[in-house]
Amino acid sequence: MNTMDYPDKFDVIVVGGGHAGTEAALVSARAGCKTLLLSHNIETLGQMSCNPSIGGIGKGHLVKEVDALDGAMAAAADEGGIQFRILNASKGPAVRATRAQADRLLYKQAIRSRLENQPNLWLFQQAVDALIVNTDRIEGVKTQAGVCFSAKSVVLTAGTFLSGLIHVGQSNYSAGRAGDPPSITLSEQLRALGMPVGRLKTGTPPRIDGRSIDFSVMHEQWGDDPAPVFSFMGKAEQHPRQLPCWITETNEKTHEIIRGGLDRSPMFTGVIEGVGPRYCPSVEDKITRFAGKSSHQIFLEPEGLETHEIYPNGISTSLPFDVQIALVRSIRGLENAHILRPGYAIEYDYFDPRGLKRSLETKVIEGLFFAGQINGTTGYEEAAAQGLLAGINAARHACEKEAWSPKRNEAYLGVMVDDLTARGVTEPYRMFTSRAEYRLQLREDNADLRLTEIGWNLGVVSETRWRAFDEKREAIAREEQRLKTTWVNPAVLSEEHAIRVLGKVVEREYSLYDLLRRPEVSYDSLMSLPNSGERVAQDVVAQQVEIGAKYQGYITKQNQEVQQQAAQEDLALPATLDYREVRALSIEAQQRLNLQKPETIGHASRISGITPADISLLLVHLKRGFRTNKAGNEDAK
Amino acid sequence: MVRVSGANLKSLSSAITGQELIPRIATYTPFLDESGETLDQGIALYFAAPNSFTGEEVVEFQGHGGPAVLQSVLHRCISLGARLAQPGEFSQRAFLNGKLDLAQAESIADLIAATTQQAAKSAVRSLSGEFSRAITRVLEKIIHLRAFVEATLDFPEEEGVVVVDSDRLLVDLSTLKGELEHIESLATQGNILREGAQVVLIGAPNAGKSSLLNQLSGEDVAMVSDIPGTTRDTIRQALQIDGIPIHLVDTAGIRETNDILEQMGIVRARQSIEKADLLILLIDESDATKAKYFIKAEINVGITPTIFVHNKIDLTGLQPTIEKNDGTTQVFLSAKTGAGVSLLKSEILNAVGWHKEEGVFMARSRHLDAISQALAALQGAEALSSRLELFAESLRLAQNELNQITGEFVADDLLGEIFGKFCIGK
Repeated sequence: MNTMDYPDKFDVIVVGGGHAGTEAALVSARAGCKTLLLSHNIETLGQMSCNPSIGGIGKGHLVKEVDALDGAMAAAADEGGIQFRILNASKGPAVRATRAQADRLLYKQAIRSRLENQPNLWLFQQAVDALIVNTDRIEGVKTQAGVCFSAKSVVLTAGTFLSGLIHVGQSNYSAGRAGDPPSITLSEQLRALGMPVGRLKTGTPPRIDGRSIDFSVMHEQWGDDPAPVFSFMGKAEQHPRQLPCWITETNEKTHEIIRGGLDRSPMFTGVIEGVGPRYCPSVEDKITRFAGKSSHQIFLEPEGLETHEIYPNGISTSLPFDVQIALVRSIRGLENAHILRPGYAIEYDYFDPRGLKRSLETKVIEGLFFAGQINGTTGYEEAAAQGLLAGINAARHACEKEAWSPKRNEAYLGVMVDDLTARGVTEPYRMFTSRAEYRLQLREDNADLRLTEIGWNLGVVSETRWRAFDEKREAIAREEQRLKTTWVNPAVLSEEHAIRVLGKVVEREYSLYDLLRRPEVSYDSLMSLPNSGERVAQDVVAQQVEIGAKYQGYITKQNQEVQQQAAQEDLALPATLDYREVRALSIEAQQRLNLQKPETIGHASRISGITPADISLLLVHLKRGFRTNKAGNEDAK
Repeated sequence: MVRVSGANLKSLSSAITGQELIPRIATYTPFLDESGETLDQGIALYFAAPNSFTGEEVVEFQGHGGPAVLQSVLHRCISLGARLAQPGEFSQRAFLNGKLDLAQAESIADLIAATTQQAAKSAVRSLSGEFSRAITRVLEKIIHLRAFVEATLDFPEEEGVVVVDSDRLLVDLSTLKGELEHIESLATQGNILREGAQVVLIGAPNAGKSSLLNQLSGEDVAMVSDIPGTTRDTIRQALQIDGIPIHLVDTAGIRETNDILEQMGIVRARQSIEKADLLILLIDESDATKAKYFIKAEINVGITPTIFVHNKIDLTGLQPTIEKNDGTTQVFLSAKTGAGVSLLKSEILNAVGWHKEEGVFMARSRHLDAISQALAALQGAEALSSRLELFAESLRLAQNELNQITGEFVADDLLGEIFGKFCIGK
């Protein structure tokens, strides 16, 4: 095949236009790098291949973090969302999360228009066949048609396309997702470069034509009123027309049909080798593992305003098509359902994320970054967050700047990257709030306070956002200061008001801030006290002040925990360190550490099987290594 | 010696010594408890940062020794905000603050490896048996409860995965707390090392109890003669064997007697026997008939751990030795010449539950500390059943503490528990 060198050179090339790829490309361009986004099909940029919703518990947290760094996902959800809800609204702020049902087309348009209007960003449609690697350094990529693009950094976001294999019943075929070709040569090249490969599985349900559904027998569910917004810069007026979802459920007859088809299910006959996620099981998995449960809920989610296509969330399956029809039609309201597209399971390659640095750069090839599903994760939000991080660091690598990665106590993004790179995955990795030990401070509501300033300093946050954020932050600080210096005492606070707001009289002098820390006191009730001064104008400021006061004690304690570990946490371990040289270290620890080459002591301590004693030995060894190096340098002079 | 390293130690040191210490000057001072009572007297030394072993502020309290006293000074430091160091942590800090040179670092590496093995060994020992099973049971219950709470937090109500009602949470929590409190009281009660062990010498008149007391304590405390019934009252002597406090009680030999003073002594002897942690039954090896008589007479032998000491081997010509069979321990010695007394000393430590490795002692303190921290966290959870994310935080902290006793647990294990229990996912 003839090849040609593309005349222009790029700083960063992003391969793949899903949720990881688009965020990576956008942020790299925002950082001022000349960026090329390569996709096999420009029409599918920003495609939601699975369920038509964004966010949820843990995932919404990631979306807000992406937004705090000026990423696209939250804003696109605001423009394309047809139903918005706050999950866990009755529980504490730390676990509240936003979720939006999205119109696939509107969402895709919102992403596409951002890509097309982003300065420094260029799109090109062609599948990538190979990476151009010079020993252990990336130099660019080669497309199917033989065009060679060169760049200093490459971000690979191949999703499920690497050696993708689709299963429906006993038949299977190679594909990237239904209707798209897989990337096989790329997968082979990566294997040959020594990337550790594994196999995972995911699935989708059959899609149903809404005209064949009897919605009248189902429970209707609307979004919250007033509708929440996703982006810190968003407004409810941006939302298009809103739609409900519907809830129905499986029954004993459904389960019988499924059981009858198990002998033709690729999951149960052993044809599928990849490991599927436990939290998003196929319907055949659910009825087998929880045989005692006589019914499972199904959420019927509209795919958009201008389509009849319905996504029945809860019946992901790879059973043969005849069984799919029978099981769908056994469900109340779906007796006459017409299936538009069959459900399927897809197996795909992923690369062991323990082969990545926390910047998401591969340890094997300098300048090559991985993000999204190829790292063993699942979900749009997880992909977008990784794409953003990989994009930031690809840009920084191109300008020879030091990599950045948030810590576990700074962001869910930090938790995810640390989990992936220290512990690897055994199933597709999804975010849960229970993964975050510092959950009380990693909230949706303060994602901007945690990250926007960092983003501004990294040069990826726009001036408009920065101004708005700075103003909000100032307002919060001012109001906190005011509450801390406004005092009430038994002389000025009448018994009547005290009992109304506090439930009891005050026995000594308190600042308003102290009173706000009490569980039964809200900011608004506090402001109803006489002499409490003027309420702040913006609700978000009031909310932030209130949440900050409620959690203050817990967060102070967590910060102490963080500080105790800080000295070790960030101590760097050289990549060149051969752990066999570390005195007294057990063979097992040597092997694990040599395999993973952790970046810091903190990172090493989270590798499974590494004990506190091993860490002590490493610290001692570091001292020795440091001395040897220093002596070496002196010799060189 | 208790050594404290960290920041802002001046308030701690002045609370304990009642004065402001001058850096690098050894001060002879009482060590005070919360109420100002003297725990011990000794040398206090303060080092300002960075001129100390660790490079942080350091205070050392060098007391008169003895683990019991040491323990109380240690507890005093903990109540003032210190915590127990992890194995090797001082060296680690010294190292991190650039205080160790290469040679020191090398030798400390070996030391850490050695102490870790020892600590691991002793942890296995003290953790085998009921204590470890009990802690593991509580941990399992915490994890079980956390699985419910976390599943409720991580999955929306509408999916109907799991509904936690706060009454149920409180019931589970109080069961948990009760169990942990029980373990704490057992662990504390059983901690003879802290209180010292009560060891009572019994035996027929003129079996040589007082001679043995003198031998064990290294001084002439009791009057010794060949006349049966020389000791009429109980004699108490505090002594240390390898630094472990032993309260040794010499009793009047129990026999039928008309001597009123001797009778009163025998009543007291019986009272001491009731309270003993360990009995040492002396048998006059040169007079076998007396020995038999005595074993029948002594009610508590067989209930309280007992060492049978066969005295006067200088008369029978036997070698000092120790024999263990059928769960009884027989020591052959001569209280008069001292032959075999060291055998008895180490057997006493054995019998009161002391293992020679130093790690055991510290490990136990750590365990008690972890249990009490875990209890404090559970206590805190009680008021939070309606604020589930804070309830969850308290459970997490409690589990963290107990994990220090048994080992590592990661978030993913918790998720495994959740997925095993609930059918999750739309």
